[in-house]
Amino acid sequence: MLGTSSDAGKTVCCAMICRYLARKGLDPVPFKAFNLSLNSYATKDGGEIGIGQAFQAWACGLEPETDMNPVLLKPSGGRRTQAVVSGKPLLDVETDTAAYRSAAQEAISASLGRLSASHGFVVCEGSGSPAELNLMDTDLANVGLMRSAGVPAVLVGDIERGGVFAAVYGTWRLIPDDVRPLVKGFFVNRFRGEASILREGIERIEELTGMKCLGVLPLAPVRFPEEDSLSSSEGRMEGDDPRTAYMANVDVLLDAALESGFDFDALLEMSG
Amino acid sequence: MDCIRKKVEEEIARGWIGPDTSCDYHPCHFSGQDCTFCYCPFYPCNDTDLGEMLVGKRGNEVWACSDCLFIHRQDVCRFVMSEIGRLGITTSGDPRLPGIREEAKSRFHRAGRAMMVVGATSDAGKSVTVAAICRILHRRGYLVAPFKSQNMSLNAKATRMGTEIAMAQTVQAKAAGLKTPDSHMNPILLKPKKDTVSQVIVCGKPYADYDVESYYSEFVPGPGRTIVRENVDFLKGRYDFVIMEGAGSPAEINIYDRDIANMGAAVEADADVVLVVNVEWGGAFAYALGTVELIPEPDRSRIKGVIFNNVRGDPERFRPGAEEFAAICGVPVLGIVPHGDFILPSEDSESLRGMRRKGDGSCLVGVVKYPRIANFTDLDPLFLEDVSVVFVEKAEDLDGVDAVVLPGTKNTVGDMMWMEEKGIADRVRALRGRVPIAGICGGYQMMGRELDDSDGLESGSPRVIDGLGFLDMTTKFGEYKKRVVNSDGTMLVGDGGEISGYELHMGMSEVNEEPLFEITNNQDRGPVKEGAVRDSEMVYGTYLHGIFDKKPFRSYFLSKVSRDGRRVDTSDVRDYDDVLEENIEKLADVFEANMDVGAILRMLGVGE
Repeated sequence: MLGTSSDAGKTVCCAMICRYLARKGLDPVPFKAFNLSLNSYATKDGGEIGIGQAFQAWACGLEPETDMNPVLLKPSGGRRTQAVVSGKPLLDVETDTAAYRSAAQEAISASLGRLSASHGFVVCEGSGSPAELNLMDTDLANVGLMRSAGVPAVLVGDIERGGVFAAVYGTWRLIPDDVRPLVKGFFVNRFRGEASILREGIERIEELTGMKCLGVLPLAPVRFPEEDSLSSSEGRMEGDDPRTAYMANVDVLLDAALESGFDFDALLEMSG
Repeated sequence: MDCIRKKVEEEIARGWIGPDTSCDYHPCHFSGQDCTFCYCPFYPCNDTDLGEMLVGKRGNEVWACSDCLFIHRQDVCRFVMSEIGRLGITTSGDPRLPGIREEAKSRFHRAGRAMMVVGATSDAGKSVTVAAICRILHRRGYLVAPFKSQNMSLNAKATRMGTEIAMAQTVQAKAAGLKTPDSHMNPILLKPKKDTVSQVIVCGKPYADYDVESYYSEFVPGPGRTIVRENVDFLKGRYDFVIMEGAGSPAEINIYDRDIANMGAAVEADADVVLVVNVEWGGAFAYALGTVELIPEPDRSRIKGVIFNNVRGDPERFRPGAEEFAAICGVPVLGIVPHGDFILPSEDSESLRGMRRKGDGSCLVGVVKYPRIANFTDLDPLFLEDVSVVFVEKAEDLDGVDAVVLPGTKNTVGDMMWMEEKGIADRVRALRGRVPIAGICGGYQMMGRELDDSDGLESGSPRVIDGLGFLDMTTKFGEYKKRVVNSDGTMLVGDGGEISGYELHMGMSEVNEEPLFEITNNQDRGPVKEGAVRDSEMVYGTYLHGIFDKKPFRSYFLSKVSRDGRRVDTSDVRDYDDVLEENIEKLADVFEANMDVGAILRMLGVGE
């Protein structure tokens, strides 16, 4: 799951897909190679992962574990960024870049290998936008992961601020040639109104890129964990504890997606 | 006419004076204007490039020059005065004057050039970029007009002519050094009314209501394009440059051929275009490339540059990516503009979306955020003080507030019902007498006993509902007529300090309360009382938007706050208008330093 911007809705949409696959009994597991987040979750195996993956694990009916988010970067003030690799605080990224990169790459491959071996589906979440030209050659979680593991991808675009067609098309254009064929589909997130008015635009993007549109997800008034300061925190929260509340919200979202005709079959086909 | 003749003769005798900064009204049109001819020696010129014929109150025809800036340009003034001297003209009736006007017009009157700023998304930074360019050009002595063909905004302001204009264009006009923005700068204003229906305001006057579909299928292809072209042409005829602002993204390809807010307007204005992208959310290169490439030719070739806005951290780390982008896209990057915190009015409800609290002051002001909140820029000056605002969307949000403001709304009746339903109304009632409460416009109407919409004009179906009951006042929503007027005056409470504001509303109120203000300078009436106050209950209601802009009422209202017996620090004595001016200067400085100003000037056909 790639996003056209930081806050496009990758985390929540991954959770929704996890939920869908779990309902179907297809044994999904979440994975995010790399996370930049201040909000982390302590796993039972004594590690530390991004809150988003804990939440996605619950959506799968699983306990969060370190392999679901092998690399977690935590800004620790000033120019310092602490890397948590395989759940353990490791080093300062800014001063120890080379060591960090090789440790991170190794941890990502190992974790993804273990998850693939033990689950039916690994639902991988990208990080930020995959089209950051100034960061392209250090990217681990988007183009990096697709390249190293041959993972097929779908692209989610947030329509709330406008310019979603430009965002989807531009992102597809800037993904390097060698991995671009792996980007098989896209969908529009957080739409308000009658989705048929987008049809002409969607068809044009399908025609230009060869990607298939999986659907248009309506804006759902539900609340999810905040991964970083950019995420919005509006919406409904009901239940005794956050976990129950979030899970109820994922169900709301999935039901809304199913009702909107989101093409899960095509998604399964794309994932092989 | 005779009195104008007499004045002109005095001016001819006095000779060239340039800008008259000693005049109370200076600058009545734009900063840097030439005041040699306060009265035009060519009046009435009957030249429709400059003025227009109006019908007066008694049905008589009057030649109006309120939009004409020609005689206040320094080059024009100097030329006219030197010709008058050369030819020895001493009276305003001299038959050689029209010839001088023709000659001045052929030398100095030229159609201005337009350029347009579009954004990859809403909130990309279009408004501030236009404001910065307006100020940068104004600093170089050019006469500049901002323009936005179509605005979806609930923050509107009254112009001097008694029409409405969006807040963003008001600020841009200020950046351009203009004293009086007018409705040509914002010909089409959409005000969301009910869920999918918007009131369309054309050239400052209510035109009709449209839903989304009929707006695009009927309004845009019909009158829409013509309105855009005529208004840009009007401004081009009077200003050196017209700096246009787009709306949303120009690459919404599902409605591309029906979009007159972006490239459609650029075509009508024959304008070159700059694309602004906010890098804050990531994906900026993709947004920029996608926007450029989805715009079909020949329109695409109008895009002459990209500005990456709101860059945090070291801009140099961003530069290599920007250079690579320019190589791929074929459009140059004209700016990498760092993030800046400027005190400027917020444009639309989009910027309030998800916002629960703003500011970091110790005095907590609860602002009821109705679904159809309007003109919430009224609140901006509060942040000059030791205030933070909590946006109240449910009753509990009022916990611990030190003061309450009921802002304006586009639908008083609907939003009052919403307040009742949410239990907010009862919580506000319970706060009466305990904390100061101010109601502005729609919020003021709600403070009365009754809201009478028995014709169903406000809420869609006929109903009469209770207000908050703070004031002995009833408001009737009757005729489809709007009050739009600027007012100055004094407070009738406290030390009687000066106030100013503008009214912009439907509905008429009958009030049996002590008035809050005395209005002394008013566009269409003599001195009059305004608003309602129950000082002992700390209840203040007014129709005047912008009422916190000037210091006196702002600090009087906050002086009523007692937080654990302590008073709010209201030591910031600045008028909000001065604060805006400072911030426009700061904004322009940032753009001067980080944007290729030379490229912008070349786009407008002038050198550095």
